[in-house]
Amino acid sequence: MESEQIRERVIEILTPFVKDRSALEQATSATNMLDDLKVNSARFVDIVLAIEDAFDIEISDDELDSVNTIGDCVSMIVSKS
Amino acid sequence: MSLTLGRRERTALLAQREVGRLFAPLWVPLLSALMRWGFGWRIEGISQLRREYARLRAQPGPLLLCANHLTMLDSFVIAWALGSPLFYLRHYAALPWNTPERRNFASTRWKRMLVYVMKCVPLRRGAARREVAGALARVAHLLGRGEALLVFPEGARSRSGRVDVDSAAYGVGRLILAVPGCRVLCIYLRGRGQTTWSDAPRRGERFRGELSCFEPKSDHAGVRGSVDVARQIVTRLAGMERRHFDGRQ
Repeated sequence: MESEQIRERVIEILTPFVKDRSALEQATSATNMLDDLKVNSARFVDIVLAIEDAFDIEISDDELDSVNTIGDCVSMIVSKS
Repeated sequence: MSLTLGRRERTALLAQREVGRLFAPLWVPLLSALMRWGFGWRIEGISQLRREYARLRAQPGPLLLCANHLTMLDSFVIAWALGSPLFYLRHYAALPWNTPERRNFASTRWKRMLVYVMKCVPLRRGAARREVAGALARVAHLLGRGEALLVFPEGARSRSGRVDVDSAAYGVGRLILAVPGCRVLCIYLRGRGQTTWSDAPRRGERFRGELSCFEPKSDHAGVRGSVDVARQIVTRLAGMERRHFDGRQ
């Protein structure tokens, strides 16, 4: 799967968790999921589990620590796909 | 970032522990007296709770305390329920460390001094992943050293007034899986007049509590394993809550 396809799928997964939908429409690779999109930190892990299911990958706790932006998320998925 | 600490951070935690211990003969009895006579709080079956906690503490292996969360003073009430001031002065490691929200408990210099002395590692809710991992590493180190640690696996006070299984905080599961052989002591404590969440229990409140100890395991790895463990704990607390209300009928 290409990076752009992965990015679109990640945005799709993020959508129900995002408080600020307008920020999502303008999201770039540098968009921080917690700070910019106002995703509830307690729900962040639900996004991670949804990503694991969608891309059939397993994410470790240490890998999760490096994921802050949409770009981080896409890079991690690419590296595991 | 794994949940490991550098020497400087380990030394800083040890220093914090010893400063707290130095002042403990002052603040531990003072807080107990404030709860008992100042607020007029009572805990039903307190002797049994304290005996059970002392028994579990005497067993080998790390013990993480996981409690339901209804007021901002829960940490104090739970510590009081589990041990007398004399017990904590004799067994200082048994006095639980806490992880208060930085905005509530460490917002001023005075509050920061207090939480430093009172065995606290403040956290910032919604902080960057690495900052959260750093705080988890500190408390994992304490737990591994045999220090008691109290956390609230729902992550915040129960907004419905009841344990919310869907709000299990993933970090608690991660912490447990990072500390080999970690047992979990679930604590359900609730005031008779506590119908929902609040800042503090009412004056003259009477609390009733129950303890349940187990060692959570998960067949999953990574984030999913941590979530699984966190949910096991909150599910157990929800079961204790059901018994609490069934027992009142």
